[in-house]
Amino acid sequence: MTEDKKILVYGADWCADCHRTTELFDQHAIKYDYKDIDSDEALKAEMLALVAGKNVIPTVVLTDGTTLQEPTNDELLAVLKIRSEVDPAATLPSHEVIIIGAGPAALSAAIYTTREDIETLLFERGVVGGLAAVTDKIDNYPGFPDGVEGLTLADDLRRQAERFGAVIELGEVTAIFDEGKYKRLETTSGDMLARVVLIATGSDYKKINVPGEVEYYARGVHYCATCDGAFYRAKRLVVVGGGNSAIQEAIFLTRFASHIDLLVRSTIKASDVLKQELKAFVEAGKMSIHLNTTTDEIIGENRVVTKVLGTKDGQKVEFPTDGVFVFVGLEPNSQFLRTTPILLDAIGFVMTDHNLQTNMPGVFAAGDIRSGATMQIASATGEGATAALKIREYLEGFPHPVQN
Amino acid sequence: MPKNVTIFTTNTCGYCQMVKKYLGAKGVVYEEVNLDIYPERQAEAINLSGAMTVPVTVVTQHDDSRDVIVGYNLARLAPAVA
Repeated sequence: MTEDKKILVYGADWCADCHRTTELFDQHAIKYDYKDIDSDEALKAEMLALVAGKNVIPTVVLTDGTTLQEPTNDELLAVLKIRSEVDPAATLPSHEVIIIGAGPAALSAAIYTTREDIETLLFERGVVGGLAAVTDKIDNYPGFPDGVEGLTLADDLRRQAERFGAVIELGEVTAIFDEGKYKRLETTSGDMLARVVLIATGSDYKKINVPGEVEYYARGVHYCATCDGAFYRAKRLVVVGGGNSAIQEAIFLTRFASHIDLLVRSTIKASDVLKQELKAFVEAGKMSIHLNTTTDEIIGENRVVTKVLGTKDGQKVEFPTDGVFVFVGLEPNSQFLRTTPILLDAIGFVMTDHNLQTNMPGVFAAGDIRSGATMQIASATGEGATAALKIREYLEGFPHPVQN
Repeated sequence: MPKNVTIFTTNTCGYCQMVKKYLGAKGVVYEEVNLDIYPERQAEAINLSGAMTVPVTVVTQHDDSRDVIVGYNLARLAPAVA
């Protein structure tokens, strides 16, 4: 009796792309032998011999001996010529709504969708709660007269969404394809389908692009005061930026630092309350403000930051310091959309119509990622709720979305 | 399961919570060193990670090989504690 020749998949348990590959085969009822190269050195050697030493998984060996390394699902489907025979909805995991991100906009949208019994899956690649979760204290979110810790707010939003049945998956969406009735998402958990997608990936702290910034990243140059501030007890710090978050983070850092030089390119653009608070720290000698001062270079010795060079009114200035915290605004997390037809503005924020829908029907955007967003948590939660209601309209109108 | 897991954290760090939550969900027992409570152990965290940041997760396997994972990095954390 001869055994049917089977496809071989060399992989490892920790390899997300390997799972994606085997899942694809499972969905299409394609038989394969899975070889865990971590379990046996001999299997690894066997694989390396087949692919001229290229140590990459998954490595797929087809029945005719062809090898494919790290193939996308599309490549595999094309090679196996099964694409046209299958209805994607019948084989790929499918969801009513997939929300990309799990910050305030995403979680608020999920509270609304799941509460209306619209099945919803969220994808988060970093921290549930997003930037809000790494913010020390949020003072301007309505309903919290004494302010609220970012972590607490994030956790409460998560619990509220989960109470109604929202599911948060830790992973990343890497592409979105419009396949008509369904959108197909490439994710770290494999391909999946959704009738509606909400992009709520938010934004991240921007870099200043000066010499020394990359070299001393996390070794003297930081972007998260709540994460890294504790390393600067009784040390001198430079904070770069003059907006609300720069001022707020600088004030937070005073609990550790002996002194802070605040370098502001033009003037301070923060709320009056923060300006008042700031004034108290300046008067107490904890902080010095340097307006019209650019940050030109971060200098160090023996891998430790020692000073920051700047320019004030055309004159070179120097600030001796042990570390630098940068808060100069936000940039959109839209890298993964650049290869899709979804329209972005010049900076990379997602363009939407008045229904918060993008130019790809069934794909919506809300919160910091949306072009025109105000970068406020209150706005993000409001937009999340609005998007959820627009999504419901879209789903109810399917396949003839209500035009309003 | 590894032999030993230690996490360096601070009170205010959101990513630290995420690492602890992940380990908790996987049933991994860990020791937490909160640098707000034990600032004297800061140098230890810096030496291990080469960075002035938290979380730093040190995973020691049964053969005493060691993974040092900086930040909330599931791609490295998940296989290390599997």
